[in-house]
Amino acid sequence: MSTDYQYVPEPKLIKGDHTFGSITDLIAKTPLSPTPKLWYLAFGLANLLLITLLGAVGYLIWDGIGIWGLNNPAGWGWAIINFVWWVGIGHAGTLISAILFLFRQGWRTAINRFAEAMTIFAVMCAGLFPAIHVGRIWVIYWVFPIPNQMAAWPNFSSPLLWDVFAVSTYFTVSLLFWYVGLIPDFATLRDKAKSKVAKISYGIASLGWTGSFRNWWNYEKAYMILAGLATPLVLSVHTIVSFDFAVSLIPGWHSTIFPPYFVAGAIYSGFAMVLTLMLIARKIYGLEDIMNIDIMERMNLVMMVTGNLVAFAYLMEGFISWYSGYIYEQGIFWLYVVGPYAWGFWILMFCNVLTPQFLWFRSIRRSVALTFVISIIVNIGMWFERFMIAVASLSTDFMPSAWDYYSPTFWDIIIYIGTFGLFFTFFLLFLRFLPMVAIAEVKGVMPQADPHNYDEETQEFDAAKTEPVVVQQEQTV
Amino acid sequence: MSEEVKSPNYWKSLGELAKNDEYQKFVEREFPENATELNDQVSRRSFLRVMGASIALAGFAACRRPVQKILPYTKMPEDVVPGDPLYYASAMPFQDALAGIVVENHEGRPGKVEGNEMHPGSHGNTSIFGQASILNMYDPDRSRSVRKDGERSSVNAFASFCKEHFANTDQNIAFISEANSSPTYNRLKQQAMDKFSNAQWVTYEPFGEDNALEGNNMAFGQRLRTYNKFDQANVIVSFDDDFLNPAADKNSVENTKRFSDGRRIDETEDDTMSRMYAVESTFTLTGSNADNRLRIKSGEVGLFIYALASELSGSVNGLSSFSGVNNKFSDHEWIPVLAEELLGNRGESLLTVGRDQSPELHATVAAINVALGNVGETVSYLEVPHVDQESNREAFENVVNNLKDGTVDTVVLIGTNPVFTAPADLNFTDALSNAGQVIHLSDYYDETSKKANWHINRAHFLEAWGDGYSYGGTRSIIQPQIEPLFSGVSEVEFLNTVLTGEKAKGYDLVQQTWKSYYTTNFKNQWEKALHDGLAAEETFSAPSVSLSNDFNNRAQQFISDSGESEGMELVIRPDSTVFDGRYANNGWLQELPKPMTKITWDNVALMSKKTADKLGVEEASLGKAEVEVIAITVDGTTVEIPAWVQPGHADDSITITVGYGREGIGRVANKTGKDTYPLRKTSNMLFASNISVEKTGKTYEIASTQDHNTMEGRSLLRYATLQEYRDNPNFSSYDEAYDAELPGLAYADEQNEESPLSIFNPIDEEEYPDNQPQWGMSIDLNTCTGCGVCTIACTAENNIPVVGKREVSRGREMHWIRTDRYFDGDVNDPKALHQPVPCMHCEMAPCEQVCPVAATTHSDDGMNQMTYNRCIGTRYCANNCPYKVRRFNFFNYSKEYLTNGSDPEIIQMAMNPEVTVRFRGVMEKCSYCVQRVNRAKINRDIETNGRTQKPKDGAVETACQQACPADAIYFGDLTDPDSKVVQTKRNNRNYLLLEELNTRPRTSYLAQIRNPNPKLA
Repeated sequence: MSTDYQYVPEPKLIKGDHTFGSITDLIAKTPLSPTPKLWYLAFGLANLLLITLLGAVGYLIWDGIGIWGLNNPAGWGWAIINFVWWVGIGHAGTLISAILFLFRQGWRTAINRFAEAMTIFAVMCAGLFPAIHVGRIWVIYWVFPIPNQMAAWPNFSSPLLWDVFAVSTYFTVSLLFWYVGLIPDFATLRDKAKSKVAKISYGIASLGWTGSFRNWWNYEKAYMILAGLATPLVLSVHTIVSFDFAVSLIPGWHSTIFPPYFVAGAIYSGFAMVLTLMLIARKIYGLEDIMNIDIMERMNLVMMVTGNLVAFAYLMEGFISWYSGYIYEQGIFWLYVVGPYAWGFWILMFCNVLTPQFLWFRSIRRSVALTFVISIIVNIGMWFERFMIAVASLSTDFMPSAWDYYSPTFWDIIIYIGTFGLFFTFFLLFLRFLPMVAIAEVKGVMPQADPHNYDEETQEFDAAKTEPVVVQQEQTV
Repeated sequence: MSEEVKSPNYWKSLGELAKNDEYQKFVEREFPENATELNDQVSRRSFLRVMGASIALAGFAACRRPVQKILPYTKMPEDVVPGDPLYYASAMPFQDALAGIVVENHEGRPGKVEGNEMHPGSHGNTSIFGQASILNMYDPDRSRSVRKDGERSSVNAFASFCKEHFANTDQNIAFISEANSSPTYNRLKQQAMDKFSNAQWVTYEPFGEDNALEGNNMAFGQRLRTYNKFDQANVIVSFDDDFLNPAADKNSVENTKRFSDGRRIDETEDDTMSRMYAVESTFTLTGSNADNRLRIKSGEVGLFIYALASELSGSVNGLSSFSGVNNKFSDHEWIPVLAEELLGNRGESLLTVGRDQSPELHATVAAINVALGNVGETVSYLEVPHVDQESNREAFENVVNNLKDGTVDTVVLIGTNPVFTAPADLNFTDALSNAGQVIHLSDYYDETSKKANWHINRAHFLEAWGDGYSYGGTRSIIQPQIEPLFSGVSEVEFLNTVLTGEKAKGYDLVQQTWKSYYTTNFKNQWEKALHDGLAAEETFSAPSVSLSNDFNNRAQQFISDSGESEGMELVIRPDSTVFDGRYANNGWLQELPKPMTKITWDNVALMSKKTADKLGVEEASLGKAEVEVIAITVDGTTVEIPAWVQPGHADDSITITVGYGREGIGRVANKTGKDTYPLRKTSNMLFASNISVEKTGKTYEIASTQDHNTMEGRSLLRYATLQEYRDNPNFSSYDEAYDAELPGLAYADEQNEESPLSIFNPIDEEEYPDNQPQWGMSIDLNTCTGCGVCTIACTAENNIPVVGKREVSRGREMHWIRTDRYFDGDVNDPKALHQPVPCMHCEMAPCEQVCPVAATTHSDDGMNQMTYNRCIGTRYCANNCPYKVRRFNFFNYSKEYLTNGSDPEIIQMAMNPEVTVRFRGVMEKCSYCVQRVNRAKINRDIETNGRTQKPKDGAVETACQQACPADAIYFGDLTDPDSKVVQTKRNNRNYLLLEELNTRPRTSYLAQIRNPNPKLA
């Protein structure tokens, strides 16, 4: 072999000098130790917002959808924007845990539990909106195909109906997947827990896990099957959400690019949200070794790619509106750029097109502070993307005589803010009582997990070695 | 308390029960009679009283099952079939012109006003005021009792007062009456004048016909009524005359009918149509229908007419006094062109001038009509018996002066409201305080009533007997449809009481008059007149007219007095929807967008873009409903009013409308808009020059239903000039409109299909049962004037709720049919185009495809139907409707609208029992008046023993179609090749709105044709 190249191994996924035991201690420490004061403060705040949300929703149901800023052309507003936004955020978790699992991306183990939890709570927030945005919530069960004496079925050609199935399936599978992954860790906590309540609770949740080979064998199979099931759902759920718009005939909605563009956008925003939460959590819970800079950089790369996909979609929308020769499509694109909602469009352009370009720089990708800022900007940008699609397209469609300006009311805003209360209430409970990193899986990507001490370079098994030979930590070309 | 509602028989509810005295007592006593009560100071009893009004506690009553009697028909009244409406002919007075109407009655309760087809002033159609009059009758804010010095009194007390007070027949009495054409009324008026030797009688209308009568008096020496026949004219020249607008012309329905008849293109491009020129300041509804429009200040319209008369004077006789006129318009490009047109159409042209323009202009225009030989052809001058022989304006000023001098003992005001409407400089309110006794008959306890010693509540014309003449002279009887809801008295009953001190029945008074018409066989003739809704046509004679001898002298005088309008001009007009303020408490009219501005619930100061720029005022636009408030000062009186840019308004001119800003009238009128009457003075009844205008720095939110005024290059409303139409008869097709083939057509051709393919199931004609009709509609944009009566008719027919200004400003108006108004061309001098847009009833309806619960579906007869009970309110259908005709109940509008106030059952009676009242959270939209369609189908089914359900052509009319005075809407069965709607759809002007979307609408449009003079293009 010539010497002009060298074997460059992957950088270690878990930093620091960790053993299996220290990993277990690090992660299991949080659920098993007393509740910190800061958590109470955060949980109190989240509860306050949650109560606000419940109050606002109560008032909404009492008084009517009219308390929102909706009008005649704009029949959908913040509720649908928020729905799509939360569903989009809910994308990262399953993508990380299912698709990256099938692709054997070991780095996913540092964040998959965390991201999945985020997914489930985000989908819960999302699912709230389609329910409360209907005019008569007390008969919302009519969207389900329940056999009834009038033989009145839902309309299977309506994308809203597809949404009902897509989102509920996604939520169910995500929840199952998350729970299955949690079983070995529940068992770990059960074994380590001191209090009786914790022991019993974790014991029940761990479904009698013993750590036997048969347990592991079943677990791995189940996990892989669920990963296989969840993978198409990652793509389908946002595709179907995009159908709400794409299947209609409104200019700015009626577009074949929507499914891939929505999926890319969803991954983009999902990763941004995971980053936002992860960068806070790693600091507070001292998980810098696990949720380390390398992981952050990889996530930034995913964000950069999906961000540019989204930017490309925006460009294509502009191009197609011109190329189609379809005056309404041209009209709506022109209205995006200079119309009454142009401010929204330019915020979107700044957040979603300009901002990801910073990620071309390695130093920015590896900067915790900048990544945090970018992740927040991206989430703002993705909200505005949905705002432009939902509101701007509806407000100014075919008949200029019917155009009307949409602006939100206090109740639109308070319900959106309130969903953060719902989200963080659950998320804080998760951080407090569940292992926020998949203990068993992280151990699987540690060097110690390789029992054969296989040496990539010599292609031999060397019993003396405890870890792979590291020629050079930094990457050289 | 119990007097509030006259008779509790017509409705049963807890709210009404709460008004019952015994129930009141029951509420106040927590425990039943004889139960022991605690007698401490703050008893639980008084606590309860504080806690809730009777309504709030009505719930208790429900628990205790109050006994209410329901009364079935034990003996069925003749002709009544429960569920089937009955129709009675009557007539609606508006000022001194009657329009024949037919009133739909459901179980003894009038529900909808339609025109009487036999009546020449109506031809089966109505104006917006006619349609909305039913809501006026059911207005719970109408005055409900006689008041003496503000205290509740009774008609009996008033009668005994009259007996005593009017025993002195020598006292100075001033009768101030609104214009009234009733022969009975005028008979009683004559009796009053005979009985009271020192009485004066004045007809006072803030916007009356007086100037026209005075003008004709000046020209012909007689106070004659100008009666225009627009259908007879090839060339129409309108000087500041908004004759299509009911607020500007009391004969607007007939005018619209005649005007559109002269414009209708039934068959092909070879048809002819009249040409209209409009010279005006405000962009009026009529101006928007003109072929050529010139915008000049209202104050200079006179100069323009004199210049035109001067140009004509060389070619025709009788205008010699104008020959030397030389003013700023003498060299205007319009003058020779107009003169040529008019001279080429002698006897077939028609000049008309606005009602409120000065008598001099009316006289000049009459002189020109005489000179052109138009009299008897396109215009008649009618002798109207009930018109006063003196200038009403002068008479009114005299009365006010007499009042100020304290020489009037008693003032009797009938119907009119001069405290609100009289010219500000007359100080009518102060003058009135000098009178000994003031007696006022009116619908509302209004501004004048509050200054009166006696207020008598008036019966609505649907509640009382009356009679009168139409504008053209057709005599009719007004039949009541219901007992007066609030025990009001009609003006004839009132006048009779003043005269005799007795209460008499209106029926007897009217019959007494009519006995002089029918000397033989009275009963039969009377019944025939009642049945038909009219008795005799054209009872007014048209004397042959010639210019009076002193006209030339007068003309020279007023020509030399005329001058250019200097500085900024203010034009004061009645409002398009609330008129002089009398309709201010009518929610339907308040919510009807004004035809040119699309503003609801407010009056504004209209000005051109240039004037706005000069004043530094910004235009409202999409997303900017807050407009600037300006302060207008005329002779030291200042009114602050929001400014609104009206493209096409004359420069340096501002138009305001009156009738708003009322107080203490009712829940709708109060605090709505700005009162602008203070600016209207005897010197500026129509316009004032040299006014000062300033920005106030304040802003005000305006609720407009259309925020974007151009079509953005989209061919939504297609129009061409007559010449273009002749050159290219298919100009309105998609190919011609966009210069491109309809998308998908080429592929369809390959597949041997007629229209573009769709992934959705096209409606397969074979799937329709043969016995079913297939409904379709076409709307002729050429005859549609944009008046908006379709919207009001639809509101009345389909129980559309009034949502109020706040909701309209949020874009939540509920109208099922709207009239879009686009401006096209130069922002300063654009064309205005009107397009009514109801649901298109698409065969492949985008709304149906997206509803998750299948709440909107297609019927066998091809209608896109809305199932309210199934709707869960996702609003997806409204989003996906490209025409944006679906309306969502964001709140429980109907409940708010129908349960407002202490006795909501009154307003509830205005609802059509055949149409569901929609609840919160459901979508609604135009149903093609499915209740009317189904009634006709059922009748047809019975007639043919179930063979077919296809009604004969014309058996079903939608509400909008029925009301439209321009007959612009056609509706019928598309499977009937001879039906009118099929014929119109075969017209080469027929086109589909947004045809490229392949929604296959059942409603189509006939493109608009304008006939401008190429020389002025």
